[in-house]
Amino acid sequence: MFFNSIAFAIFLPIVFFLYWFVFNKTKSTQNALLIIASYYFYSCWDWRFLFLLIFSTFLDYYTGIQIEKGKSDKTRKFWFWLSILVNLGFLGVFKYYNFFANSFSELLNSVGIQASPILLNLILPVGISFYTFHGLSYVIDIYYKRIKAEYNFVDYSLFVSYFPLLVAGPIERATHLLPQVKVKREFSFEKAKEGIYQIIWGLVKKVVIADTCATYANAIFDNYTSMNSFSLILGAVYFAFQIYGDFSGYSDIALGVSKLFGLDLLRNFNYPYFSRDIAEFWRRWHISLSSWFRDYLYIPLGGSKGGLWMKIRNTFIIFVVSGFWHGANWTYIAWGFINAVYFLPLLLRNSNRSNMDTIELSLNFNSVKTMISILWTFLITCVAWIFFRAKTITDAILYLKRIFTNKDFGFQYLDNERYNYELILMIGLFVLIEWNNRTKIEPISGKKSTVKLALAIMAIMAFGTFSDYKEFIYFQF
Amino acid sequence: MKRFLIYTAKILLITVLIAVVMDGLYNYVFLQSKNRGKIETVFNSKPQNYDVVILGSSRANNHFVSKMFEDKGLKTFNYGMSGGHLFEASLMLKLMIEKKYTIKNVILEADLNLSNDKESDGVSAKFLPYIHNSEIIKEHFENQENFNELYYIPFYRYIKYDGKIGFRETGKIIMGEKTNALDNLGYYPLVKHKNGNMKNNIVNLNPLKHNKYYEEIKKICKEKNIAFIAVMTPMCENVKGMNYFDKVKKVYPEIHNYENVVVENKYFSSCGHMNDAGSKIFTARILKDFFNK
Repeated sequence: MFFNSIAFAIFLPIVFFLYWFVFNKTKSTQNALLIIASYYFYSCWDWRFLFLLIFSTFLDYYTGIQIEKGKSDKTRKFWFWLSILVNLGFLGVFKYYNFFANSFSELLNSVGIQASPILLNLILPVGISFYTFHGLSYVIDIYYKRIKAEYNFVDYSLFVSYFPLLVAGPIERATHLLPQVKVKREFSFEKAKEGIYQIIWGLVKKVVIADTCATYANAIFDNYTSMNSFSLILGAVYFAFQIYGDFSGYSDIALGVSKLFGLDLLRNFNYPYFSRDIAEFWRRWHISLSSWFRDYLYIPLGGSKGGLWMKIRNTFIIFVVSGFWHGANWTYIAWGFINAVYFLPLLLRNSNRSNMDTIELSLNFNSVKTMISILWTFLITCVAWIFFRAKTITDAILYLKRIFTNKDFGFQYLDNERYNYELILMIGLFVLIEWNNRTKIEPISGKKSTVKLALAIMAIMAFGTFSDYKEFIYFQF
Repeated sequence: MKRFLIYTAKILLITVLIAVVMDGLYNYVFLQSKNRGKIETVFNSKPQNYDVVILGSSRANNHFVSKMFEDKGLKTFNYGMSGGHLFEASLMLKLMIEKKYTIKNVILEADLNLSNDKESDGVSAKFLPYIHNSEIIKEHFENQENFNELYYIPFYRYIKYDGKIGFRETGKIIMGEKTNALDNLGYYPLVKHKNGNMKNNIVNLNPLKHNKYYEEIKKICKEKNIAFIAVMTPMCENVKGMNYFDKVKKVYPEIHNYENVVVENKYFSSCGHMNDAGSKIFTARILKDFFNK
């Protein structure tokens, strides 16, 4: 059941009605309904994986309590590592086993030892990377005594399985979501209205921008060997907007839906393509994952303590791991590595936190410099996206090479029966709207919101791509 | 909560209003379309007189050279539609009758397309803008699974088939952008010989015993006194399951088998589609056999 499906359009009002009109007596009844709805939502993909989700939830719930109750360090450590190993074990088996088996066998073959890997025929459970990280952060926080263990299983289950964030985040923190889950929610008109705006804008991003860009990006990436330089450049730009529209659109819908139930989720995107350097980009892109890696990997590794070398080492580790988190493929690892390389000059100049303020433009030299920085950051991000999108690293390198060697900058007719340039105007308009609203969560709220809402609905209906339906990209992670 | 419910109702109302307005707007634009495709052209045309009308899929569109008919003094148009099934061919003929076309002969390419009587989404979508303007189109779609949504939900058909009749197509009509669908009197010559694409497997294909739309075309022709010529058109040599054409002949003895009139690969662009040279040989044979008076 996707957020942009008819099934969800039926599911959401039913749950909304039951939540506020039938199960509204106490926070327990509210939570119980949301749990049932979440498990139903999840089982729409594959009911068999519901058991895995419930097991994972119970494991973290139980180990969390045992860690807190543990009298000795040894006991606490035991329960802590049990949770970590089982969680990562599931992730490893379902997501990474085949990749490691294949890579190891290829390595052996390359040194002349014949080996054929034993592969598992497993389907990746949807959302496993997200709910595993929910559970991990909870257990780690209890172990380091940052939070208290949750003793109410229903409340804890809701924190892990809450349907708006279950399959593709944002990756929530116990400190943020659990306190909200523990009190009865009262309906707020303003919050619900904000939610509607965010849902509508998320749909614009998904069906108008992402899915339309996907049609073009696919036609270019899938036939890159016959594309000219101009098409290849556009292909990378289209993919950049596809993945942004897709994932931030999903996050907007998730946040908006959650607001309808009176729960605030962590913001996941903050206009990342308006970043002035790559550090700022990563403070604005998939914020819940970046901050997760910062808090649970970078800082435990020593963070920036221990000098420049440690800082560089830890930066490379979190980016490569972050790339690997996205999928079991060398292309994701390369994508993470490239982003770490982009970080290097900032680390060497100690300027990775220099662009923390809001971007203001006026008619002066500094503004020109800012614009150039934004364009440069977008450009290098697009180069990294080529690795993310390509099927193999070789494909990515050949794609890049062809941009420079083909040198034909003419308009090309693509195999999706469209010209490669046709989408530029729509993207330009989208960028302009986002730029003018970059201090807000979404562009619909504010003055003349009804007109803007009507225009957004019109855009979804008129410009949305519906016949060539595409799943949300991050569901596969 | 009451405020929110009223607010949600307002949004729904705005959505419905937008859908109705856009439906009307798109419909108006499609009613002006004259040079984009065969369906739009027929729908927006005045009554015509034809000696020969050619119907079928791409195997009609690419195989019957209309000009060769014209050279013989026969006013002809090739209404074969790439990707189309007999569902669309039948509707096209019905639409012509509704638009008061006078037709003496219908040549129907009836071979591979006899194996199903389903609609071809990509082609049938082009009729949908006119579903409220034509009883014939409405009736033809009435038995389709999603008829109610297509007919009663405003703008739904433009959303569902956005790739075919969405804003890009609407925009192109407004801009007066022409396609090549109507060039060469509807015949689309294939010139490129793609090496290595000269094989096909139709072993699992079987003609339906009673193809609803084939029978419908036959019936219309009989009622309107139109001479009905059904033909099977050539395929390349390297086809697995070539006995399909014999199976067709068994079920529909009136269909003329021209499958092996052209066989050499040099006359094909792909296994199921002849190039221009092959189509000329084939058309010459059709002219000789049916119009040599």
